[in-house]
Amino acid sequence: MDLSSRDPARRESLRHVRQMSNWTAAFLIAGTGTAAVALAHQAAQAAAAAAPAAGTAAGATGTSAGATGTSAGAGPRVTHSVATTTASGVTVTTTTRTVNGKTVVTRVRHAPAGGDN
Amino acid sequence: MAAGAARAVPWQRVPAGDDAVSVAERAALGTSARLVVWPPENLGVACGVVDDVLAALDRQASRFRPDSELSWLNAAGGGLFLLGDGLAEAIAVALAAARWTGGLTDPTVADALVSLGYDRDFAVIDEDSEPLGAAVPAPGWPLVRLDGPLLRLPRGIRLDLGATAKGLGADRAVRAVMSATGEHGGALVSLGGDIAVAGTPPLDGWPVTVAEEPDPDGAPCGQLVRLAAGAVATSSVTVRRWQRGGAALHHIVDPRTGRPADGPWRTVTVAAATCADANAASTAAIVAGATAEDWLVATGLPARLTGHDGRVRGLNCWPGPEVAGGPIPVPAGSRVYAGGPR
Repeated sequence: MDLSSRDPARRESLRHVRQMSNWTAAFLIAGTGTAAVALAHQAAQAAAAAAPAAGTAAGATGTSAGATGTSAGAGPRVTHSVATTTASGVTVTTTTRTVNGKTVVTRVRHAPAGGDN
Repeated sequence: MAAGAARAVPWQRVPAGDDAVSVAERAALGTSARLVVWPPENLGVACGVVDDVLAALDRQASRFRPDSELSWLNAAGGGLFLLGDGLAEAIAVALAAARWTGGLTDPTVADALVSLGYDRDFAVIDEDSEPLGAAVPAPGWPLVRLDGPLLRLPRGIRLDLGATAKGLGADRAVRAVMSATGEHGGALVSLGGDIAVAGTPPLDGWPVTVAEEPDPDGAPCGQLVRLAAGAVATSSVTVRRWQRGGAALHHIVDPRTGRPADGPWRTVTVAAATCADANAASTAAIVAGATAEDWLVATGLPARLTGHDGRVRGLNCWPGPEVAGGPIPVPAGSRVYAGGPR
């Protein structure tokens, strides 16, 4: 590993992703395990305190409170489509204008310009 | 972070048709990003934080950017690594998705994609310039061990986070918008058509169109639905196609075979609590092929499948086409991303 690299991007990467010796790793794994036990103990206590809120996975709702914890009803009225879900890597731009009192919807396909991440 | 934001392509305001929301778009992650917020005055702050999120994700998880953390990891030839928080989270989500889908999505599929010719930006893939090589099945996600920030990557395995990273980006972005705006109002973020929403939705939910692709003449198409919470994502084999050795290929690869998925469904849309979940599920359903319906029914996630013959199938209370703007009943609870929007 060339830590003396003058390439700023590479130095940035090295700060985030650093390969380690096995001994260093062993100490870190041991430390992580100890911390995990402690956190699990705390999490169990927290879960017990929050028991009434557990088991929400079975709940499903269309537009009202309960769907992933978001409430509905207080927002504005939006009548036009604001986004399109479509094939991965392709976005359809939907624009809506009012022309002479009529609603005109225009859609334009954006060709992908790079990687689909 | 600031440097990435400084290089970001400027946002363009888009007429929304409703004064109650503001809409903006820009190119991002090889596709385009769309941001919708209410109240409209939140747009400026929201654009800034989404820029930061997208720049960070690109720097962490892009397979096409040689200076990304993921590219450095893939080039290292295996070993034990201490990851930054962002990449660790992205890999954790990819592994959770692989576990949930039973390997229908698999981050070790990178070499299969490269062997098919998807080794560079899609826009510069050479058409049919080389013969199609032997299939390279994914080595298998269980070989990759992640414990917090510590990653053990066996020699010879490279990672691709394509089945989850874009969804994760939408989740992170919409959560960041709500945090930056003091949880006031609501936000929708779309990355290449994978959509996450958070905060308080508009009355009856965000109006969203579900489409495979627009008609060639640009005429409106697709189904209008309403999304009050969670996310929706679409995967399809109808785009990102190329030729190699005379064979038509696409970017959704079956990890078990190393070849493009060839099931009966050409496009699948799934709604879930997080966009990472929806992204993984829609990709997994394409790969699952003939068993996609059974797998999706078991997940309980609302889904819309379109077959190669054009037939459309709705599952798990996906709104029927007879009701324009029908609400999607999104179940609470994520299977792959505990940090998703709330």
